This record gives sequence, C-alpha cells and structure tokens, in this order.
Amino acid sequence: MTRIIAVAENTFRESIRDKVLYVLLFFAAATIFGSKILGWISIGQDIKIIKDICLAAMSVFGALIAIFIGASLVYKEIDKKTLYTILAQPLHRYEFVLGKYLGLVAIIGVAIVLMTGISVGYLYFMGGAVTLVWFQAILLIFMKLALITAFAILLSALVSPIMGAIIVFCIYVTGHATEVFKDLPPQFDDTISRQVLEIFYYLIPNLNTFNLQSEAANNVPVTGAYVSFALAYGLAWTAMLLILACLAFEGRDV
Amino acid sequence: MTAIVTEGLSKTYKSLGKAPVHSLSDLNLTVEENEVFGFLGRNGAGKTTTIKLLTGLIHPTAGRAALFGTDIITPDARRMVGYMPEQPYFYEYLTPRETIEFYARLRGLTAEEREREWEQISALLDLRDIANRRIRGFSKGMRQRVGFAVALVGDPPLLILDEPMSGLDPLGRRMIRELILQMRDRGKTIFFSSHVLSDVEEICARVGILVSGKLAACDRISALVGDVAKSVEICARGLDSAFIANLGGQVISHEERKEGGHRLVVQDTEAANQLVVEINRAGGTLLSLHPVQESLEDFFTRIQEGAQVALPEEKQPAALAAAEE
Ligand SMILES: Nc1ncnc2c1ncn2[C@@H]1O[C@H](COP(=O)(O)OP(=O)(O)O)[C@@H](O)[C@H]1O
Ligand SMILES: [Mg+2]
Repeated sequence: MTRIIAVAENTFRESIRDKVLYVLLFFAAATIFGSKILGWISIGQDIKIIKDICLAAMSVFGALIAIFIGASLVYKEIDKKTLYTILAQPLHRYEFVLGKYLGLVAIIGVAIVLMTGISVGYLYFMGGAVTLVWFQAILLIFMKLALITAFAILLSALVSPIMGAIIVFCIYVTGHATEVFKDLPPQFDDTISRQVLEIFYYLIPNLNTFNLQSEAANNVPVTGAYVSFALAYGLAWTAMLLILACLAFEGRDV
Repeated sequence: MTAIVTEGLSKTYKSLGKAPVHSLSDLNLTVEENEVFGFLGRNGAGKTTTIKLLTGLIHPTAGRAALFGTDIITPDARRMVGYMPEQPYFYEYLTPRETIEFYARLRGLTAEEREREWEQISALLDLRDIANRRIRGFSKGMRQRVGFAVALVGDPPLLILDEPMSGLDPLGRRMIRELILQMRDRGKTIFFSSHVLSDVEEICARVGILVSGKLAACDRISALVGDVAKSVEICARGLDSAFIANLGGQVISHEERKEGGHRLVVQDTEAANQLVVEINRAGGTLLSLHPVQESLEDFFTRIQEGAQVALPEEKQPAALAAAEE
C-alpha cells in the first residue's frame, strides 16, 4: 500500500508541476464566467442556465484531464524509460498501475473541488440557491470521470497516447448515448447489425447514469438510493477496467 | 553464495509481421558473491536484454535465473538488486533529493531510514550541491551520478549496471570505476556491461563476452588472454641479410626497424631461446625481448570475427524456425 501511495503522490506531483492542470482549470473558469461576459445571462435572471453550464464545464474539462493525462500515463513512462528503474524495484506491477490511477483521480478530484468552489461562489453571487442535489450531481460527475480515467489507463497500457485518447473520447461520447444502441429503429429488426450494436450497448458504460444535470438545474431532489445505485454501477465498471489494465501490464515487456 | 545463476536463459522478441529476433540464446552464467563481473559485447549483442531479464523488466522466452537463490520472476528478487539502466531516466520534475526519497519509499524504507539513506548516498555521490535542483537541467555526468545513487538505495547486495561508463568524459569514467571498486570493497557484487574493453580490463576479475546473443567466452581475464599470449618479440642489431634469409619457420614475422636493426616475432619462448643463441652466434646484438600479450581488445576482435564467419550456418535454423511459425 505504501508503494501504491508513493507512486500516486508522485503522479499527482508531476501533473501539478507540469501545469497542464492550470491550463484546463483556466479554461473551465473562463467558460463559467465567459457565459456571463458573452451576455447569455444577466444577474438574477436565469440561474438554471448557469447551473447547466457549470456542470457541463466540470464534466467536459474533467474528461479532458482524464483523457489527455490518462491516455499517456503508462505509455509515457515506457517511452521515456522512467519505468525501468521503477519496475526494477521490489514492486508488483499492479501496484504501479493502481498508483498511477489513484494519482490521476486525485488530480481530477482537486480540479473538481476547485471548480465546485468557483461555481458555488458564482451561483451565490448571481443570487442562486445551492442545494443537496447540486453536490450529488457533482459527486456523480466525479464518479464518471474516475470511470473514464480507468478506461484511459487501460488503453495507455495497450496503445499509443493518441490512439488511446481517440478511443476514450469515442467512449465518452457514445457512453452518453448508449440507449441509441438499444432502442434501434424498426428497420434494424432481425439484422446482424442489430446484434452487433446491442453488443456495444453492453460493452460501453452508460454514462447518462451519472447525469443529474437537469435535476440539479431545476432543483429537483434525487433519492439517495439512486445516487448509491449510480456509484455502485460506476465502481463496478471502474474495478473491472482496472483489473484489465493490471492484467494487460503484468505480462508486458518494457 | 552465488549472486547470479542463469540456466538456458533465452529471449526472443516477436512482433507482428517481423522475423523473430533471437536477442539472447541459452545463456548459462554464474557470478559469485563479491565479484566484479564485466559483461562485454558489441552494440546489439544482447547485453541490455540480459540485464532487463535479470531485473524483471522483460520475461524470458525460455530458461530461468536466480539472484541469491531467489527466482527473478518474483518481486522479492529485486530486493537484491540495484539497477542502473543504460541511460538513466528519472522524473525530470523531481530533484535528486526527491528522487532518492521516492525510490526509498518504493523499497519500503521508513522515514528515518530514508533520511539516513539520503545522508549516506548524497555524500558518496556528491549530490549535496544539486540536492534541490530539478533533474531537467542536468548534464549527462550529473544524471549518471543520480543513476548510481538510485541503484544504491536500500543497500542491495548486487549492483547491475548497464554501460555505466558510456558517454562519459574521462573524469566521469574514473569516478564510476572508483565507485565500482569502492562497492566491491564493501562486499557488493557488481555485474556491469560495456562495449569498451579498457573499462573492463582494469577492474573486473572475470568477463563474459557476448556475441550475437550467445556467450562466446567467460573466464578470468588472465585465462582468456593467457591462452594466446605466448608469442615473443625480439629486437636485434647487426644481422646480415644471409642470416635473415635463412631464418627458420618458427619466426612468425620479421621487419626492419626504422631506427636500425630487425624486429622478429617467434611462436613461443622455446623458439625465442633458440633464436637468441643463433643471433649471438652470428655476431648480432640483442636489443630487447619481450612476450607479446594479446590484449583483451585483440582477443575480443578475434572472437567477433570467428562468430562472424560462423554466422551464416547459425542463421539457418533460425530462418527455418521462422518459416515454421
Ligand atoms: N523490444 C525489442 N523488440 C525487438 N528487438 C529488440 C528489442 N529490444 C532489443 N532488440 C534486439 O535485440 C538485440 C540485442 O539488443 P540489446 O540487448 O539492446 O543489445 P546491447 O545492449 O548488447 O547493445 C538487438 O538486435 C536488438 O535490435
Ligand atoms: Mg545495450
């Protein structure tokens, strides 16, 4: 466990020192405030839209961090050969993979906390009320990002960062629209493509499970049971992806 | 106890659409504790492949190996090893101090032990001045020092160094050489690779020579060189052309020296004795006589050439195997 933490801390430190995070946070803040500057909304008028934009910004910028840092996480260490001296230590390979993962999830966590702070302050300033559902929505966004990060790290152990980023991006996009694969129009009935597309439905996590954006915007309460279900769903997917990532890395020559 | 034992250790790289590369074939090697072992070979001979196998970075295609009796496939074997890669790469955004700290944590040292480790290692490798500078701006020599420092973290009994002296200036090479000897005196076993013979000749008790993934020779340097260091060079003055013309078959080569006189090389000491008697009888003057030691360099070249000649035959089975796959 101490070894996992050592790797995680180091990954965290790397991202902080590499300043990628600042750039993304800057854009996130710019988006949130930009909506005001662009004149889409005026004070006290449409809190709903502000909330929508805030949550969308968190989701998108969090995903950008997950995809861009995550997809190169393991690959970069192989490519830059920093891995040699690390794997030559008395350390299991899964400890390395998990450490890298936790480090990045911690980064995303910090980014989310900062963005939450910014958004709450902004909403308060604009005269909006922040209720429990706001934080529930953010918690599920975080869960979603943790899942995306697990996808990214699995791919980073298998393919190049660009390839990995593209695949994870596709998963991110289709993951928000998995119902499409299930509820196909009638002309697909009894065709091979129907079966293939249905397989997709089960291969790609349904990211809409984590989407409480409209509930949060409209201040509609969400049950604790639903949030727990969504968390369990996310954790199950994440665990499976991490196991695959560890297995993929175990037998690999570096 | 033996530090390293390998049995039939082999590595074949296979990649899609390419012929398999037999980087290491059937390596059988033993390195005793507290020995300085030099692992020689040209670029591409398979030195790095061997070292990566020993450190668990890659997995053998066949065969096995153990470090101090622990199989290399278990992480525990890596407790025994400090490893310095060919070009040590570390996190550029860390300082040497943080780097040592990080590796010490991976080795499970407590905070106190880590502190002590830093004190000792930084003093030994002269890292104090650069302790808090990021590695990003470091020169090759500074990186090599950090690399050696990382290999020493946790005080492992075996150091495996991949080309520790390549790319360093003479001062840097001497520093590494002295460090290796210092570590030997502390009881450590050192296994290091090189393609430069002079590095090895001075500090290694034994060397292994790798040619195209096969161990071509492995022995004490004196034994390897001794085999062939029998010819004798004789320089003499005052010999007439009739004498030279009548020289027997035991003279391997002969030439006239620019500064006057002749230089003759004979096969062995017996022939040399005989020739000296003849020179005296003919009224010549003996100038010098000394054995021609074949340097490790010559030996190395000869082994390489031998392997080159043998290569076409060796290649056939590999090609057949590739066709079968
Ligand atoms: N990952 C790899 N995939 C395919 N071939 C490799 C790989 N790594 C090394 N080789 C090949 O194995 C041989 C030995 O390489 P190496 O062990 O690096 O030699 P050395 O360290 O003695 O210079 C070379 O022919 C090299 O091209
Ligand atoms: Mg090499």
